[in-house]
Amino acid sequence: MVVADEGKLIESSRQGDLAAFNALVELYQRQVYNLCLRMLGSAEAADDTTQEAFVAAYRRIDSFRGGSFRAWVLRIAANASYDELRRRRSRPASSLEAAREAGTPIDLASPAAGPEEEALRRELNLHLQRGLATLPPEQRLAVILRDVHGLSYEELAQALGCSQGTVKSRIARGRERMRRYLMARRELLPRQFRLEGEDSHV
Amino acid sequence: MFEALARIRHRRLRRDLSAYLDEMLSPGARRRLDGHLDTCGACRQELAELRATRGVLSDLPLAQVPRSFALAAAPQPVEGLRPAARRLEFGLRLGTAAAAFALAVVVIGDFAGLPGGEEEEEAAPVAMQRHEGEVVPGIVPAPTMEGEGRVFAPPMADEEEGVEVAPTPEEAPPELGYAAPEAGDIAEEEPTPESAPAPTGVEVPAARGAEEVAPEATPAPPIAEEPAAGAVEEVTPEATPAPPVAEEPAMESLISEDAAATPEAAVAEGEGALSREDVVRWLEIGLGAGVGVLALSWALVLRQVRIRAQ
Repeated sequence: MVVADEGKLIESSRQGDLAAFNALVELYQRQVYNLCLRMLGSAEAADDTTQEAFVAAYRRIDSFRGGSFRAWVLRIAANASYDELRRRRSRPASSLEAAREAGTPIDLASPAAGPEEEALRRELNLHLQRGLATLPPEQRLAVILRDVHGLSYEELAQALGCSQGTVKSRIARGRERMRRYLMARRELLPRQFRLEGEDSHV
Repeated sequence: MFEALARIRHRRLRRDLSAYLDEMLSPGARRRLDGHLDTCGACRQELAELRATRGVLSDLPLAQVPRSFALAAAPQPVEGLRPAARRLEFGLRLGTAAAAFALAVVVIGDFAGLPGGEEEEEAAPVAMQRHEGEVVPGIVPAPTMEGEGRVFAPPMADEEEGVEVAPTPEEAPPELGYAAPEAGDIAEEEPTPESAPAPTGVEVPAARGAEEVAPEATPAPPIAEEPAAGAVEEVTPEATPAPPVAEEPAMESLISEDAAATPEAAVAEGEGALSREDVVRWLEIGLGAGVGVLALSWALVLRQVRIRAQ
């Protein structure tokens, strides 16, 4: 979708045009859903939180003041995910289950891959999700948005609501933790990772 | 020495590796790190590992959405109940803060020897009633508090109330806590100016007892922890400035001002003099308990709001 179209859709949404807003939903739902999925580690929670985020986005569309709409909508999704994490914390009974959820593999079937490759991918995916679950939420968010979603530092500053300096340090700390987590399990990881890890001439 | 410097430099540059990877370093910082990477194998290794970490993360495919999240209908702008609960929560928070502030004012006024005007008068009669049959140490709760618009648990519950306050809000404990000790301090420090064989009022009850027994005898030993403005005025009805009690000039002037400005206060004092500090005490207790109850109900409402939010 071209940016100009997006601007029109946003404008119409502001005036309460639900169809226009739903067109925006279609554009961004995959990113929003995946962010929630990575933040929360559970498909069910991600489903609810994604819906919640879009409802909130519809209500707050007036507060979008230009810049990247993607960053704006991902910020709402991030806040919805934080709310969900907070709710989990305040429900001690289910926190164990939540912790388990956060480490469960997310099914990312890739039909093109052969069975062996598919198995490796699943294993790596599992470790990545578990590793991400060990990060403090704000570092997790920064790493996911940067490395999985590929946001620029500028968009990140908007999505995280902080300065680029803070963005930089959150990414650095988050990646550092992920690095340690993965390196501690390097023998469990696919060869691809190990080879790259040992190659010091980059 | 040189090694230590190098290590510090290494640690500082190491932090830039992530931004280096994203090409988000300033040219200068980039050049410095490049130079360091030429000589530091550990950093080269770490950079490679970070690159691999980033690589596997960015290779993660995005999952397909399980369904469309398009909204079937425009969501209602607000949901009925939550805002109401929020408002209630806000009101209670405000109330707690206001009560805590009032408590602080009374406590501070207590120390400064400035009994709060109207508050004192409205509470005075009640305090008087209680007063007759009572040589008991202070702190008995009850009827007075109705002034706060709060109904209270039976007597003696009071101290528990005080304790209860402690864990919940932030405001209450400090004031309650510091009221007592300082009062004690003042009483002890007070070198009892002129006169008075000094019953050296150690505590409230003692002070009150003394005043109660002998309003006319021994011109009001300046026992009280508060400069006991009432007692002072009794001794010098013509409102002489500079009451003997105060040691701080500020306090002195305040008190004399009080005495001079309101001559009829002296009359009122005639009846209420004995209980002035009781009144303040009651106010403190009442407000303290009020703060406790407000904070408690605030906490409850807040919890409700949170639960409902789920």
